[in-house]
Amino acid sequence: MDFRLGEKELALKEEIRKFAEAELPPDLVRSTVIDGEFRDFEFEISMSKKLAQRGWLVMSWPEKYGGRGASLLEQTIYEMEIAYWGIPGAWMGISGIQWIGPCLMLFGTEEQREKYLPLIASGEKDGIWCTGYSEPNAGSDFANIRTRAVRDGDDYIINGQKVWTSAAHRARWCWLAARTASNAAKKHQGISIFIVDMKSPGVTVNPILNYYGRHHFNEVFFDNVRVPASNLVGEENKGWYYLMQSLAFERRSIAPTTYGILKWILEELASYAGQTEYEGQSLSQNPVVRAKLADLAIDLEVLKMFAFQLAWRISQGQIPVYESSRNKIMGDDLMKRGAITGAEILGIYSQIDPDSEWAKLNGAIQGAYLGFPGQAIAAGTAEIEKSIIAQFRLGLPKSY
Amino acid sequence: MDFSFTEEQDMLRILARDFLAKECPKAKVREMAKDERGYDPQMWHSMAELGWMGLIFPEEYSGMRASFMDLVILMEEMGRNILPGPFFSTIALCALPLLEYGRSEQKTKFLPQIAKGEAIWTFALAESSGRYKASEVKLHALLEGTNYVLKGHKLFVTDAHVADYILVVGRNGEGKSPEKGITLFIVDAKGPNVKMEAIPTIGGDRQFKVSFDRAEVPKDNILGEIGNGWDIVDFILQRAAVLKCAEISGACQAVLDMTSSYAKERIQFDRPIGSFQAVQHKLADMLIDVEAVQYLLYQAAWGISVGSPSPWQISTAKAKANEAYQRICIEAIAAHGAIGYTMDHDIGLYYRRVKAAEFAAGDIDLHREMIAIGLGL
Repeated sequence: MDFRLGEKELALKEEIRKFAEAELPPDLVRSTVIDGEFRDFEFEISMSKKLAQRGWLVMSWPEKYGGRGASLLEQTIYEMEIAYWGIPGAWMGISGIQWIGPCLMLFGTEEQREKYLPLIASGEKDGIWCTGYSEPNAGSDFANIRTRAVRDGDDYIINGQKVWTSAAHRARWCWLAARTASNAAKKHQGISIFIVDMKSPGVTVNPILNYYGRHHFNEVFFDNVRVPASNLVGEENKGWYYLMQSLAFERRSIAPTTYGILKWILEELASYAGQTEYEGQSLSQNPVVRAKLADLAIDLEVLKMFAFQLAWRISQGQIPVYESSRNKIMGDDLMKRGAITGAEILGIYSQIDPDSEWAKLNGAIQGAYLGFPGQAIAAGTAEIEKSIIAQFRLGLPKSY
Repeated sequence: MDFSFTEEQDMLRILARDFLAKECPKAKVREMAKDERGYDPQMWHSMAELGWMGLIFPEEYSGMRASFMDLVILMEEMGRNILPGPFFSTIALCALPLLEYGRSEQKTKFLPQIAKGEAIWTFALAESSGRYKASEVKLHALLEGTNYVLKGHKLFVTDAHVADYILVVGRNGEGKSPEKGITLFIVDAKGPNVKMEAIPTIGGDRQFKVSFDRAEVPKDNILGEIGNGWDIVDFILQRAAVLKCAEISGACQAVLDMTSSYAKERIQFDRPIGSFQAVQHKLADMLIDVEAVQYLLYQAAWGISVGSPSPWQISTAKAKANEAYQRICIEAIAAHGAIGYTMDHDIGLYYRRVKAAEFAAGDIDLHREMIAIGLGL
């Protein structure tokens, strides 16, 4: 065993710190958890380009696709640091970088890779993706999707509806799960993945506002949308396997990101407690405050180790079975606790609008508080993740 | 970064697991809980022959020159199996500081005895408050001629009744801070004026009140420097915290395995209870706890192994282990139903040992406080 960070990783941390100090306004509102990537879109995309120029945006991809072949450990450190400093623009529509690119590298054709990967790597708007998974009748029961793709000559014709589609209003491309066989023995066996140009005729995007009034996700309608057959990913009807892999990629990145966000929050709360006087002493002397922050720190340390362990396992060429689910549960739970504990420590100030100049910690606590319930649902609820652990790690019978 | 064990470490784990499964079945654990000595001298002897007592000593002290991480692996297996006896008291609490702070002649005298299984040691720190703070060390030591004379008492001293030596934390003076004026004395446990009274515990382990009524200790039998003993206490508590985490980690894994197997076998409503999500999710939470304990343990142990122990890593590990062990046992009993509440079932053996493990080398409050300090609070 060896838990040292190498010189490369330490240097990267330092570079990102300098980058953040040079590029970010000091009053940057920290409500990323509720806003996703779309608070100030032009600023964010300008940051995406800068991250791309630094060679960071897709650092673990091979050079020929715009990356620099960095290790997954470096990638994990990068994700932690980006989140720690609150650097926007790192996810390009929150799917291209984290799972569509990696999935295309595994399952796409060389032609698809050469077309789409450098676009994502450039940090340009045309590299932004959305992911068409959930439907009105297919949430946790994802295999129940009804959006259909029917072969017609050199094309597929797609009809159906997606919902909770993050970034659809910004995306140039959609990574779409659609049913290609209605007579398959099991419903997950008739699914395929398509790349859909969001500018295609017949695609309609309607905003859905989250409960805080922010426009992050959408419903997307596909009305006789023609997609060239060359946009099928992998084999027809094998989509379920690619989907599971994409979800594992998506769940992996939650731990490093959550770790970064919460590490910043924890440090800021500690410093806030030190500067806040109450009943003649600093809040940091209060035993309850000390215990609450210590408890958060303990599990944050766990999250860090989980993130590194998963990155290490993947880097060994092993296919993680349950670790992504473990990390997602831990990350979501900790985000919840960070938000609640943070709000308790801020007290009455925790109710202030994160954008207000009254807000403490640049609105980070309110951002986390309003955002965690949504984050905990995306990419699989805790109930689904726990069932995955029970079935695939502990060998218990399938329960759904 | 590397999360893998070496081949030798995997071998050590398998060897330990096989030995303990054979020599220390749960029937033996139960028997030892009622036994006068609380351990099996025959097994103790075999463990010494396997090189376990001297695992991390250099060869010159009859050791195996293994790493701290190797000791962690061994003690995970001991914890998994609930090995009764004074291994933790002797090795974690006493042999390690002897190796680090002992003078050459002390090491030559004491370490080979320990390695050969010929001497049992224990450590006496806590007094009436039961807290591991320097300000709570009241037992005083006065120099009279060539001897220090100890007066006072210690509580919760593990395995004192079978110990040959007790490492006693005493106060020989007052300094600017409570940490000053503390010294560690190597006391003959069978000597005159050392009295023991058993403190019955819920864990089936052996703990004692040890009273020193003018017990004489030759000046040579001091570990480290006079008055600067608190640094050694810190050293002991840090290593012991990690090694207790190792025992807890093994125990947690055993409880999870036991519960997971039971959930697959136990039929209710015509199907295994492990097919119900209420049970599955409990087990998934337990697994996350088990792995949390493991990785914090390995991180802290690795720091010690490479010579840069981190109080932060040690405290996060022990705090997590304390909390998780208790929760895992409680959830496991719930998953078992009434059978888990019986004397015949093994789960209770683990649950009854939660508290002893928690207070060894620092409860959750002590470690939370260390973490709060680490956060700059």
